[in-house]
Amino acid sequence: MIKKFIHQFASPKTYLYQVNRFYPYIFYSSLVIYIISLIWGLFFTPEDFVQGNSYRIIYLHVPASFLSQSLYLAMAVASVTYLVWRVKLAAYLIIAIAPIGAMTTFIALISGSIWGIPTWGTWWQWDARITSTLILFIMYLGLISLHNSFSNFEKADKLTSWLVIIGAVNIPIIKKSVDWWSTLHQSASITLTEKPTIDVLMLYPLIGSIIGFLGLITCLVLTSSKYQILIREKTKSWIRDYV
Amino acid sequence: MFNFAFNSFEEAIYMNGHGIYVWIVLFIVVSCITIFFITYRKKIQKIKKKLNESN
Amino acid sequence: MNELKLEYLKLKKKTRSWLGPILVFWLIMLAFPLTVEFMQDKLEIGFFSVLWIAILISMMLATEDIFIEDYNDGSLEQTIIKNTSFQFLISIRIIVYWLMIGVPISILSFIFSLGTSEDLLLSISVIPLSIISSYIFLNLFALGSALSLNKGSLLGALITMPLALPVLIVLGKSIIAFQLGINYLEFILLLLGCLSIIIIAVPIIVSFIIKAHLE
Repeated sequence: MIKKFIHQFASPKTYLYQVNRFYPYIFYSSLVIYIISLIWGLFFTPEDFVQGNSYRIIYLHVPASFLSQSLYLAMAVASVTYLVWRVKLAAYLIIAIAPIGAMTTFIALISGSIWGIPTWGTWWQWDARITSTLILFIMYLGLISLHNSFSNFEKADKLTSWLVIIGAVNIPIIKKSVDWWSTLHQSASITLTEKPTIDVLMLYPLIGSIIGFLGLITCLVLTSSKYQILIREKTKSWIRDYV
Repeated sequence: MFNFAFNSFEEAIYMNGHGIYVWIVLFIVVSCITIFFITYRKKIQKIKKKLNESN
Repeated sequence: MNELKLEYLKLKKKTRSWLGPILVFWLIMLAFPLTVEFMQDKLEIGFFSVLWIAILISMMLATEDIFIEDYNDGSLEQTIIKNTSFQFLISIRIIVYWLMIGVPISILSFIFSLGTSEDLLLSISVIPLSIISSYIFLNLFALGSALSLNKGSLLGALITMPLALPVLIVLGKSIIAFQLGINYLEFILLLLGCLSIIIIAVPIIVSFIIKAHLE
């Protein structure tokens, strides 16, 4: 049943038409949410009594950091879908997500480093979470290099899927690293299981910025997957009708 | 909940000396996202043009 | 047992493949004191870090041609077509590589450690760590080698080295734990746990990857 469902709704053609239908709604709503949340967070939340105003970087850093890991997880799900059910679209999504994942990880690293200057007094610290995020960034680059090194797309997709699944082991390490090695980095302010440690005045714009950024990155993934479909399905007759 | 956290707009930009860090990060985030959007749009337009020509 | 003997003879014939990584390990460990002002206490500070990285690099070099020759001459394809378990064969090959490269390097690690720290117990504690870690590294780099089969070892190293980094963290912590007299055994058990998962999973994944290459 799952197989039937996936094959019915995951054909590149259906996907492409659905993307075009929903894209503007997702894009504009998330852009509005993101801008409002940023203005709210940057100008209308009180100053942190320990970190001062530098804590406002949280509204830019946390969404990127959250997505850097989530996108890898999404790639892992797509990889399993591709290897188990041979869904072509899943393979396109893997390579569509990889560069965007690398970008969000880059943003998380850079914003974290800049945040570190006024907070820790240093732009880089060999802290567990920072180091594992850097590892994640290298893994994204490795995935892209592996995929690009093969001219045969099918082979590249299969090998990249395997690497993504193996690399997914790294995600819980990143998540738990702060607790395991307990270094300079503060613990997560929002978790699924516990009450947020951040004040509600700061929390709401943070949630908004995460949702807005998630929406924008989703749009970026949709655009990039659209490009992958156009490249990979260019010989198909429906593509000519579509264009 | 929606009280302006600063006394003036200049103060909001300066943020007690922390403004520079916040604005640099904002600039990086916005430019990264914009560059990616523009690049993919251009790539899509290019491939569409190619496909149209071959049609 | 026959497979083990066959793989051993195959590797034994390729002197460069098994002797090369051991010599590289040796050279890195010899090069280390040359970069530090020659004072015993200063040597000890970075010794273990260099040791783990030297093991990592040697294992990376060891797996450089673990599958490529068989891939090029078509014997990998033959093995898959045959009814014998391909995963089993991969496990055997990794074991042979470990016995001929990993174990000698672990013994050398003990000798270098004894020469540097002059602490027999600490040097003995290095043996299980290097034996287990070399096996873990061999498995991981074999995976990288399979993924980048005909694309050069650089790509393989790039994609698998991040996976090996958590092991380095555990190795570093283990030595500190031993020096402080706490949790050393727990770290060994943690490494053994990782190894038990890896030795089962890696041959299966590698066999799928090689099949994907040959399709």
